[in-house]
Amino acid sequence: MTALLEARDVTVRFGGVTAIDGVSFAMEPGELLGLIGPNGAGKTTMMRAITGVVTPDQGTVVLAGRDLKGLGTAARIRRGLGLSQQLVRPFRDMTVLDNVALAAGHAKTAGPWGALARVDRSAERDRARDLLDRVGIADVADAWPGNLPLGFLKRLEVARALALDPQLLLLDEPLAGLNQIEAGQLADTIVDLNRQGLSIVLIEHNLGEVLRICTRIVVLDNGRRIGMGEPRAVMADPVVRAAYLGEGGGHAAA
Amino acid sequence: MLDAYHISLLTVMGISVTFALSLNLITGFCGQISLGHAAFLGIGAYGAALLSKAGLPVPLGLAAGALLAGAIGAVVGLTSLRVRHDFLAITTMGVGFLFLGIVRQQDALGGEMGVSGFPGTGLDKEGFMVLVLAVAAATAAFSLYLKKSWLGFAFDAVAEDEDTARLLGVDVARFKLAAFAMGCAIAGLAGGLYAHNVRFIDPDSFGFVESITVLSMVVIGGIGSVWGVIVAAAGLSVLPLWIQFIEDYKLLIYGGLLFAVMRFSPGGLAGAVAAVARRGRTEP
Amino acid sequence: MLYVELFLQGLIQGSIYALVAVGLTLVYGLLRILHIAHAGLFTLGGYIGVLVTDATGSLALALLVAAVTVGLLGMALYRVCYEPILNKPPFVALIASIGLFIAMEEIYRIVFGPYGLSYQAPPLQDSVVLWGMHLTQAELAVMGGGVVVIAVLALLAEKTRAGTAWKATVTDPQMAQSFGIDTVRVRYLNFFIGSALAACAGVMVALMNNLVEPTMGSVPSYKALAIIVLGGLGDVRGTLIAALALGVIEAFGTIYLGDLMDRDAIAFAFLIVVLMIRPQGLLGRKA
Ligand SMILES: Nc1ncnc2c1ncn2[C@@H]1O[C@H](COP(=O)(O)OP(=O)(O)OP(=O)(O)O)[C@@H](O)[C@H]1O
Ligand SMILES: [Mg+2]
Repeated sequence: MTALLEARDVTVRFGGVTAIDGVSFAMEPGELLGLIGPNGAGKTTMMRAITGVVTPDQGTVVLAGRDLKGLGTAARIRRGLGLSQQLVRPFRDMTVLDNVALAAGHAKTAGPWGALARVDRSAERDRARDLLDRVGIADVADAWPGNLPLGFLKRLEVARALALDPQLLLLDEPLAGLNQIEAGQLADTIVDLNRQGLSIVLIEHNLGEVLRICTRIVVLDNGRRIGMGEPRAVMADPVVRAAYLGEGGGHAAA
Repeated sequence: MLDAYHISLLTVMGISVTFALSLNLITGFCGQISLGHAAFLGIGAYGAALLSKAGLPVPLGLAAGALLAGAIGAVVGLTSLRVRHDFLAITTMGVGFLFLGIVRQQDALGGEMGVSGFPGTGLDKEGFMVLVLAVAAATAAFSLYLKKSWLGFAFDAVAEDEDTARLLGVDVARFKLAAFAMGCAIAGLAGGLYAHNVRFIDPDSFGFVESITVLSMVVIGGIGSVWGVIVAAAGLSVLPLWIQFIEDYKLLIYGGLLFAVMRFSPGGLAGAVAAVARRGRTEP
Repeated sequence: MLYVELFLQGLIQGSIYALVAVGLTLVYGLLRILHIAHAGLFTLGGYIGVLVTDATGSLALALLVAAVTVGLLGMALYRVCYEPILNKPPFVALIASIGLFIAMEEIYRIVFGPYGLSYQAPPLQDSVVLWGMHLTQAELAVMGGGVVVIAVLALLAEKTRAGTAWKATVTDPQMAQSFGIDTVRVRYLNFFIGSALAACAGVMVALMNNLVEPTMGSVPSYKALAIIVLGGLGDVRGTLIAALALGVIEAFGTIYLGDLMDRDAIAFAFLIVVLMIRPQGLLGRKA
């Protein structure tokens, strides 16, 4: 058992729709794994099955050798997951800094009574400021998220996930809404984090960046896994090409 | 020196402030609406009254009533894990009616007749007032502290967006249950003081109207604002006693105020003050 | 015999609940507002019923006047009270509505007096024998009327253009609008129908008890909330079934659980148990 994360035969249905259909994959510690596929392929649903937001109808998710079945989302996060969501959900009644500081204080919010006994937030705020700097939005630390453009909120999501000190970082389209320069910078940051030993799953439509930075990719289409392996080899596979081109071909450029 | 009239005013005020702050903890801090909070005032009141009638020392009776209310509150809090928002409002309202309906039918709890003739605290009116005000002040201090603590921080997250709070590792269920347990225990303590103040309790003192009254104190003060809730609870509780004529129109005024605040200033007093302050800052 | 009698009593009570609850559920389906003040309109219907019947001697006219007046008032209530706070968090409208309801009850107390009004010569009091049970015509009318009116309403929602527009607006207001449905008119119509039905229920209840009092709306209002939640919020058919079921359960419950808790508590105990098992309501589908 060396795999950090393993999805075994995971199936999720919403009413009549099968969002993911018997998908399996595994990743080793230290990997930067790309998870790609056309719109509606089931990528976000896979993330939700890993974080426990949805319960798979079938199959299991194993993190560092432990089956996550039966654990709630918060408990899974505390076992070392951090998720940056595709649809940004900042707390709008807190500043950007406090959004990150709350995550950075995860040791203090482990339970209500422990949380009640602690007041000081300065260490967490310092750490939050560092993380905001790292993703390039330190200058809006004291702003309210409600007024910020999407590109900032995406990076806030990433900073918040990092603040959880995860052993596995899950990024769902972190580059969407960023301009080319910002996207390139954030992609570089992601690579840096990975070099420092953090394992990362990256969902992206920005194929250029995925091919540039990921060491391995998994391709989903219509809920099924249609490819897995070294990026360039996988993208050369006719089945994968057909899935992308069949969708109108817009994605390869997107 | 205060005269008896003002002593009784301040006592009523202190109990109301404590009670309103206890709901503010659940609804204001943690974002869980409750339309049946008077039931916990009642549980504390019945607990304190019956236990001291059974021979338990008064302080122990008060503490036991509070603990009982807190324990039952945590159980009721379990419902907030199953249903949210409107459904939770209706469920907690149901809890209120359930409490009344059960107490009414139990002779052991005094039934429709209520409970009276239980031993007093041994304090004179003034001493009792000091006790009540000390409890209210302690509750206010606790609320202010809680808001600044990491618990308050996590409550903010739970109140605004449970799903995202979970993704930041907050075990939402435990935090909600803690809010219900603390809020209901404090309500129970307020109830025990209420029982010893009026020296007679019956089911009607803890009905739906009381639940709405305390909610209106929280809402009018400004949901989540400690100072706003204190001012509103103090004001609304003694207004009817101050001006006799209001007693007749008390409910009309409560109802009208609730509606008007929600319609014109949903942030309550605190929200209105903040808005004025903001305007002052932007137009120097 | 006891069972049949309990069952019938339950159905009568359930029909009243249904008439009150259906307006609430219509409003909830459309606006996601728990419109507690609805019960204030029910009470007003009762007052108008007694006043008009006493003045003219015609119950039919009283029903008509009550339905139209209260229906219009319901529309006004929407315009003045709810429309401006629709996009606030849900508790805002809920609390505003509770405030409005309390104020309405107090206004009735101040205007009509605390002890209530009775009919000078209450109509429909003749006794009818049904399965060996003595019921008044008024009770029969409530039971028959309630079920028929709601069944017709459910049918209209299925079969007519207005019904389709209503359902479309419930499902997706923006989509409905883009299909040329005047969603604002749908809302007004919604408030008119719901309020008019509550008024009719008020008239009939006043007739059954031969009394209207300021607080006569309280219990039906809280029960109606429980019912629309049980019925799966916004679902007319579910509301009808939940209302009748609750009426019957209360009737039996008061006999078998009466020592433990009173009638209202039985209703809410049932609500809580159902919600804990099925958070989406008795008939509601999972969200
Ligand atoms: N909560 C839900 N209820 C019903 N269907 C859902 C739900 N969530 C996702 N789906 C459906 O499941 C399928 C997979 O959706 P998912 O969001 O996982 O795709 P995705 O790969 O993340 O797409 P995108 O690239 O657009 O983000 C889609 O058909 C979607 O409509
Ligand atoms: Mg997605």
